[in-house]
Formats: sequence, structure tokens, C-alpha cells
Amino acid sequence: MKGDRSKAVTLWAFVVAALVMLSAPTLVVLGASFTAGNMITFPPEGLSLKWYAKIAGATDLRDAFLRSLVVATICTAVAIPTGTLAGIALAKYRVRLAGAIQVYLLLPFTVPLIGSGIGLMLVFGHWGVLGQLWPVGVAAAVINLPFMIWAVTASAAALDPDLELAAANCGAPPLSTFLAVTVPAVMPGIITGALLMFILALNEFLVSLLLVDARIVTLPVQIYNSIRSIITPDLAAISVVFIAVAAAAIALLDRLVGLDIFLKSK
Amino acid sequence: MRVRKNSYPVSWRLMDALEAVAAALWPRRFSAAVPYLMLLPAAVLTGLLVLGLWQMADGSLRTLDTATFLPSETYSLANYHRAITEKLFVTVASRSLYGSLIVTAATLILAFPYSYVMVRTRSAVLRKVLLIALFLPFFIGQVVRAYGWLIILGSQGMVNEALGLVGVAPIRLLYNYPAVLFGLVQYMLPFAVLMLAPALTAIPEEMEAAAGSLGANWVRTFLYVVLPMAKPGFIGAGLVVLTLSLTDFAIPAILGGGSQDFIANAIYDQFFRTSDQGMGATLALLLVAVGSMMVGVVFALFGAGTLAMGRKS
Repeated sequence: MKGDRSKAVTLWAFVVAALVMLSAPTLVVLGASFTAGNMITFPPEGLSLKWYAKIAGATDLRDAFLRSLVVATICTAVAIPTGTLAGIALAKYRVRLAGAIQVYLLLPFTVPLIGSGIGLMLVFGHWGVLGQLWPVGVAAAVINLPFMIWAVTASAAALDPDLELAAANCGAPPLSTFLAVTVPAVMPGIITGALLMFILALNEFLVSLLLVDARIVTLPVQIYNSIRSIITPDLAAISVVFIAVAAAAIALLDRLVGLDIFLKSK
Repeated sequence: MRVRKNSYPVSWRLMDALEAVAAALWPRRFSAAVPYLMLLPAAVLTGLLVLGLWQMADGSLRTLDTATFLPSETYSLANYHRAITEKLFVTVASRSLYGSLIVTAATLILAFPYSYVMVRTRSAVLRKVLLIALFLPFFIGQVVRAYGWLIILGSQGMVNEALGLVGVAPIRLLYNYPAVLFGLVQYMLPFAVLMLAPALTAIPEEMEAAAGSLGANWVRTFLYVVLPMAKPGFIGAGLVVLTLSLTDFAIPAILGGGSQDFIANAIYDQFFRTSDQGMGATLALLLVAVGSMMVGVVFALFGAGTLAMGRKS
């Protein structure tokens, strides 16, 4: 075809620009974490693992990381049953007012994050439960719940209603049918959703910032507070934790459902 | 003994007990209500958000009493009046709106070739590389990404050090408006590509071949075939990027260094610096109204798209 070459060159110029833009911060943080110098300089002053040794001994960073893990665990634990039940209900049954229910359940996506965060801060403050970690976990579950429901409904196509009828026909009572037939059928969706909930809660920043106080900062908030003062390589080393977790999550997601699922059109 | 025990294991007895409890609590004649019962926990969780909006509405109607530093007992619309008249808020709002429009345009221009190559390439490896490059920043979180930009663009950062090697004096690349917009484009790119990709997948490749065989070069094919057919994807992606960048907090805070506040930063300051909860709630509620309206338009026009949660018809 005419001009195939100019088309390829133009497209690739954009793609390379986008790739550089997307990957540069990640690569630079990775590189900076291995510097031997006391400052982040370019060109680097040599390789070392000393900043990793330093963060291993820094209790404030370690505690912040553990708190982020607790928040992510609470978020996932709340979201799995909630999102799975809602997802199966929406996918399997003909629900009255389904459209209205969907609009309602998508509220966490339509309300901007700062609005959700302030609202939840006021609610939890009103109840006097701020200053603990569990409200942060619950808040993360609230704002990301549509991801969990979406993942479960997307895999509900694998759920053949005849299988449930067959189980019931063989004498299985309703609860057994649900646990032995329905839940295993949507398990890929549950795992995908749980993975998304965990990783999104782990690096949740704005809602954490609004809900935590100085004693219970989570890791993203800790990094945010530190980069406002001075940029040292130990922050790069701790940031690599996020990069590693993200990479692991992508590998898992690719194995479980395949990343290509996001390209499909309905 | 042993054989008998195995023939009816403890887990079965447990299931029987659970079934009995379930049947007692929820007799079969209620079965029509089961789906609603299953939706209840999600509805309650989302209800927290509604409760939050309600609290914000209540707070927004109370003005700060400067004598006692407590919210007033009586309701008034004074905060809303201040929000639309006071210069500071108008400046911040127009800066955010103007910025998010530029960000949206730039993001779509970058996202289209990326999605197009990702969808059309015959190489499975390339497709995977592009997908991973997209998801990695998405999963790393905003703070770490902004931190990376600080290292690259700072006054002693990589770009300035590299320029120094060739004898160029350091340039101030951070803490200005372009830096914030640049950071936002990078943050929005994955969202835009993921929303455009399904729209491009839906365009048959034969369409482009047909346009080519009729003599159109690739520029004309893009302008008159691909772009018009991908229009719903562009509108959806554009509105999502517009809303998300309009309401963002972290990028303006970190890359703007406090001098380039967007609306979300102004809201935060009202709560945590000025301690004027009522004013903060007012601004937040106005932003929620604008943001929800924009996302609502997307959902109304195109459905929830890939996020649709209902039955497949």
C-alpha cells in the first residue's frame, strides 16, 4: 500500500514517545535505588545495595509498609464477599430496577476521589473511629468496589445455570449448590478482582492521606511526606517495593485471565 | 469405627448444620428476595459514600464562625456564594479546568497511536510489551511515579545534569504549570489507551484495506475512516481523562510544589490548613456535582462499557 513506510514511522514515533514517558519514572526509581552516592546524581556514582540495607533498618518505613499491607488485606477481605455476592446477583438473576442498582453501585467511580475521601473522612470522624487502620481499609474497599463486581460479573459467563439445576436435582441443598457449583465457576473473576483490590489499596494515596493521622501513616503517605522535604535514595529503595509488587500482580493477572482481555470489544 | 466415621465426615455434618441454619433463617418461600439479599452488603458499603455526601451537604451549609472557630448552628448559602465569587477559588477552578482540557487533548493524541499499534500488531510479544508498559505505572501508584519525575526533572535531576555536561545552565523544569500538565498526561495515558482499545478492536481491518484500495493514503484513511468510527471511544476516553485530571490531587501537589494548586488541593487546604470545614465541603460538593455529571454523561451515552456489571443480553 502507498505510504506504508511513513505510516509506520509516524505511528512508531508516537508509540516510542509514549513508552518512554510511561516507563521513565519507573526505570529511574529502579536505577536510583542502586546508587552508591548519598545523593541522586547523574551520571550515577556507582552501584551498591546500601540503601536497601538502610531501609531494612528503618523502622518508620517498615512500619508504614506493614500498615499498608494491613489496609490492603482489610480492603480485600471486605471486598471479596461483598463484591462476589453482588456480582453473582447481577449476572445471574433478573433483578428489578437493575439499571438503577448499577448506577448506584457505580457511584464510587462517578464521585471524584477527593469527594469520596472527604465524605468518608466526615462519616468516620462523626463515628469517632478515625486514627485506626480499619476505616482506611474499608474506605479503600468502598472506592474500588466496582472493580471487584466487574471482575466477578465478567467471569459469570462461565456459569451455566443448568449446572446449578443439576446440582439441585441431585439433591444438593441451596447453600451447598452455591458453594460447590456457583462459586468455583466464577473463581477466576474472584481472584482477578481480589488482586486488583489488594494492589489498588496497597498504593492508595489520597483517601489514606485524608483518613490517617501522623501515628498511622501508610507507605504512600510516608513517601509523599518525605519527598516534600528532601529527596534521598532510600525513598527510591522503598519505592522499588511497589514496583516489585506491581510486576508480580501483572504477571499473576496475565497468567490468570490474560492481559488481552482489556482489548476486547463488547 | 474408623470406617463409619469416614463415611460421614465432619465437613458434611458441618454443611448439614449450615444448611439447616440457612433454611431456618431464610425459608424457601423468600427465595425471590435472594438476589436482593446478595446485593445488600455492596449496597451498604456504597451507602457509606452516600452518607459522606450527605454529611458534606450538611457541612457546606454551615459557615465558619471566626470568633469560636466552630461551624455555625444555622444554615446559609454563604459558602456557595463565596465559592463562585472569591478570586482565589475562581483562579484555582479555571486553572484546573484549563489544564485538564490541555491534558485531555495531549493524552488522546498520544493514546490513539499507542492503542492502534497495540490492537493492530500481529506480534503477540509486542502487544504484551505494550500492555505491560501500560499496567506497570497504573499499578505502581501516583506518588512513586511523581517521585520518579522529581528525580528526572529536579534542579539537580538527570535532565539538568545532562544539560550541564554540555554546558547548558540548569533550567527550572519543576514546580510550574507545564510540569503538572506533563505529569497528568503520563498519569492519564493508561486510562485513555484502555478505553480507546476496545473501540479500535471493533473496527474491522478490512475497512482500512477498502479505503486503501480506493486510493486513500493512510492519513486520509485515518481521518475519514478510523477516527470517525472510533468516535465513541474518543468521547468516552476524553471525558474520563477530563474528569480524572480535573479532580486530581497528587500530581499538582508534588510536581506543582504548592504553587499550582488544582481544585482538590484547594479542598484539602480548606480542611487541613484553614480549618474551614464548611468551605471545604462546599468546594468538594461542587466538584462532585461537576465530576459526576461528566462521568454520568459517558455512562448514559455509551453504557458503562467494559465496566458494565449486568447480565449479558
